[in-house]
Amino acid sequence: MTATVITQDEIDQVFPTVAATMADALGCDVEDIQPDVSLIEGLDAESIDFLDMVFRLERAFKIKIPRGKIVENARGTLTEGEFEQKGVVTDVGMSQLKAYLSEVPAERFKLPMKVADIPRLFTPETFCKLVVQAQRDTKAAG
Amino acid sequence: MSAPLPLPVLIASGLAGKTVIVTGGSRGIGRAIVLLFAAEGADVTFFYRDNAEAAAEVVSSAGAAVHAVVAERVDVRDAAACAAAVERVADRCGRIDVLVNNAGTIRDNPLAGFSDSDVRDVLDTNVTGVFNVTRAVAPHMISRRSGRIVNLSSVSGEKGGRGQTNYAASKGAINAFTRALAVELAPRRVTVNAVAPGVIETEMSQTVRELAGDEVRARILLRRFGTAEEVAYAVWFLASDYASYVTGQVLTVDGGFKME
Repeated sequence: MTATVITQDEIDQVFPTVAATMADALGCDVEDIQPDVSLIEGLDAESIDFLDMVFRLERAFKIKIPRGKIVENARGTLTEGEFEQKGVVTDVGMSQLKAYLSEVPAERFKLPMKVADIPRLFTPETFCKLVVQAQRDTKAAG
Repeated sequence: MSAPLPLPVLIASGLAGKTVIVTGGSRGIGRAIVLLFAAEGADVTFFYRDNAEAAAEVVSSAGAAVHAVVAERVDVRDAAACAAAVERVADRCGRIDVLVNNAGTIRDNPLAGFSDSDVRDVLDTNVTGVFNVTRAVAPHMISRRSGRIVNLSSVSGEKGGRGQTNYAASKGAINAFTRALAVELAPRRVTVNAVAPGVIETEMSQTVRELAGDEVRARILLRRFGTAEEVAYAVWFLASDYASYVTGQVLTVDGGFKME
């Protein structure tokens, strides 16, 4: 995890491939993959679709995305205990989450938020950021 | 006069050219599965744990098959090794169509006589091993919206057998795993089934056959032990196009075994 901000340019660069990959995985038109649409509520993605999308993105971009990477990235420097208590995101965790998922409209962050419900917030742009971060990690690993 | 019934048309099994992974393929039932699938023209990679000589013999026996059979030394208890081996197969063949989870071990003993390793080895190989390989393979099948997973269970998974609490528990787990995974993967058009053999003439059942052969045989309606090939045909069926509408099932191949 690095604290370096992911730029809009970087997101724009990967978005077309991310969108095409997601459309294949979800069986929808690529035009339906808008950067801020909720994958679960807007595109009916299920947990198995997330697995499929990650699998396809790993191949498309030749990167590795460990399971739980989005939440890990979102947690940043916070410990697990600081980020969540008994499966519910803490106040400080919520601030961190909102900062990391800046592409998600504020009204979608419902309180209290369970950790298990975090994927409901994910959008195609969330995955773009994940890809960019994984590309950086791959490059850094040499 | 009514219209004549259409003649039955035998279709090809659909296995020619398919990429198949068989775990525990160097001996017994696994060996028979590897050779049968290779004879069908499938591109077969099998995993084996430690018997390199037996593995080489299988590769050499399949020599005349359309595709070369590939042996990979993989301990299914090692999740990272399974993931790496599956990726090598996917990289080489471009896809994975069929997974046969056959690797298994047996350590019979009365419950009170088990060592820790008797319990751990059986559960780690027979259950965790299936999780490890299937977790690595499933995303490939989900992604292609196609695939066949066949797990080797045992009649012990449904019926009791003295000295087999560890083995029976492991195979009962496989039956449950099969049904649950069938539910999970059906929307992605991946079928998941199991074959439950009875007493088969393999090294693994040698002790049972030697110690209680007549007693056991007397409980089998067909009055004989099965062969590895007879089990392989059941696996072949579940992996073939003939079984396209079969999922979540445990197919028993035991000659009509009546157990206590």
